[in-house]
Amino acid sequence: MPENPYLNVLATAALTLLFIVASSFGLGALARGVARLRGATPKQQANTFAGYLFAAPWIVGFLIFVVVPLGFSLYWSFTDYRVTANQPPQWLGFENYQNLLFKDDSFRASIVNTLYLTVIGLPLQMGFALLLAVLLNQKLKGERVFRMAFYLPVILGFNTAVLLCWRLMLNTGTGIINQMWRAAASVPLIGYLLRALIYIQEIFSAFFLGINNGKFNLLTKVIEAGFPAANRVPLWVQSPMWSKMSVILLMIWGCGAMMLIFLAGLNNIPKELHEAAEVDGATGWQRFWKISFPLLTPYIFYNLVVGMINSLQIFEPIFVLYRDNQPLVPSAISMVYYLWQKSFSHFEIGYGSAISWVILVFILIVTVIQFRLQDRWVTYDVY
Amino acid sequence: MKRYWPMLRSLLLYFLLTGATVVMSFPLFWMISSSLKTVQETNSPGIVWIPANPTIRAYVDIFQNQDFLRSYFNSVFYVTLALVGTIISIAAVAYAFSRVEWPGRNLVFFLMLSTMMIPPQALIVPQYVFFNKLDWIGTFNPLIIPGYFAGGAAMIFLLRQSMAQIPKELDESAFVDGANHIQIWWEIILPLVKAPLATIATFLFVGLWNSLLTPLMYLQTVDLYTLPVYVSTLYNINQTTQPWPTIMTAAVLTTVPLVVVFFFAQRYILESVVVSGLKG
Repeated sequence: MPENPYLNVLATAALTLLFIVASSFGLGALARGVARLRGATPKQQANTFAGYLFAAPWIVGFLIFVVVPLGFSLYWSFTDYRVTANQPPQWLGFENYQNLLFKDDSFRASIVNTLYLTVIGLPLQMGFALLLAVLLNQKLKGERVFRMAFYLPVILGFNTAVLLCWRLMLNTGTGIINQMWRAAASVPLIGYLLRALIYIQEIFSAFFLGINNGKFNLLTKVIEAGFPAANRVPLWVQSPMWSKMSVILLMIWGCGAMMLIFLAGLNNIPKELHEAAEVDGATGWQRFWKISFPLLTPYIFYNLVVGMINSLQIFEPIFVLYRDNQPLVPSAISMVYYLWQKSFSHFEIGYGSAISWVILVFILIVTVIQFRLQDRWVTYDVY
Repeated sequence: MKRYWPMLRSLLLYFLLTGATVVMSFPLFWMISSSLKTVQETNSPGIVWIPANPTIRAYVDIFQNQDFLRSYFNSVFYVTLALVGTIISIAAVAYAFSRVEWPGRNLVFFLMLSTMMIPPQALIVPQYVFFNKLDWIGTFNPLIIPGYFAGGAAMIFLLRQSMAQIPKELDESAFVDGANHIQIWWEIILPLVKAPLATIATFLFVGLWNSLLTPLMYLQTVDLYTLPVYVSTLYNINQTTQPWPTIMTAAVLTTVPLVVVFFFAQRYILESVVVSGLKG
């Protein structure tokens, strides 16, 4: 292999292509042989060959990059394997899982933090997405431009550069967001509202931090301190009580993907239903809750499932905002961040494998529960 | 009052939509504005909307920064190489799932869809060990090669849906004329799914361009860093004052390709997302 990194990867890519083409034809020929033995017609044999020929890249990749790795990681999760150690992994039984689930405070913190993002962040994200979709659905001129503007954050999304811009804007003292917050807080009524927001957020946050360490003294402190003073601002990336809210802000900013799904749902609602209801004298508010909302529930369900899988896998914002920021790490780390930290900063592959299996099972359970519960609230029969 | 209601209503809606647009695009504006400021201005206690004396100092500096330029080249290089192979293999697999009848197709298709449930992070640890055994740490290989095996079940699904809508008679008449599957795939089917291909290419481009976790794991020397990894090193928590104009200049230059690609592809994306209900 060439030393130059660019030539090296070009050579590997060429070899990979050769390997894929060879294995495709091999798999195709094998399948055709099996079909011939089973007495298929020449046309069926040709189709079998073509089918496996074209599907082979995925089938081979699935075996190499999914099945085998999952198998190995399942085995390693029961061992003390470290990538730096030279001795073979030692079998530990369920020790990794026991430590992880019952003893590891950091992992428990990461679960609670991730749950905070899911329980508080996801509904906010979906609410804003629905609001924007309803606004766009009014069929005004220039809808396309607005739609683009709302979707652009999804594209920029979790790019490090954009996240660093948020880091600048969220600076507690001189950041633009708090500057505007202060300006808005000097207006009497709005100021009161903003202080109420601070109060509610800190109570929620202190409650979740209380679950983290089993002591709720922070919560009692927040409540005893009473209604926030007039000069209080959010301490976005400075205080453990706000570190997660900053990530939620980013989630809300990226609500454009969900918005598009809702928009598709709103477009699919038959106009006649609204017209008929209008004739019967229903107000816009009633029509939204009695017609649009029930017909939107399949789309809400879709967003809920996908959004939950995404928020359970969140990594980049936490890495960019809080990496190395020791005092904030326990209040901010997500499950995947912890997985990264254990596996690649500490090289504890066995323990990291156990974490990834716990995350995998966790996501599967959550998704299955959602599919089980959908009969109770999702309306599929329209007419 | 009733007569003016429609006008009043659309006025109110425009007001809300414009407000939301300002809020949503604000980070971009702030990024550009900050890149033209001095360090003092980015840390000033007052609001500097647009710097009084915009300076392009940071831009001049960054174009002389070898590490930045190389990381830019690295990103373009690796994204291009990964994109080409991934698209071709996805197009092949989607063809198998939509235009060919073969035993086992439904089972394989079901398996493919169920991989969407596996969080990619569950695979990174064993894949890291695997690539370590291949001696691929410190090369671009782990970022590129997996894609060549039709990485991305959601993308295959999207393309398969579009290919399945093409009438069957088209390939049948081509068969009569003596064409084989490879010719039909390349010369007849692919030209008909240009729009979904553009959508997929955009999604893949965005994913690769923004990717941080895998480059961080595998590219361990600064001369291999891609843009996100390099940009993340510019921000150093241990410094008391961050070089914000430099960071934001790098951010602007990182964002430009994304915005350009989105601008040209948005028509396809917004439509195909609305049609298929797929998330990017």
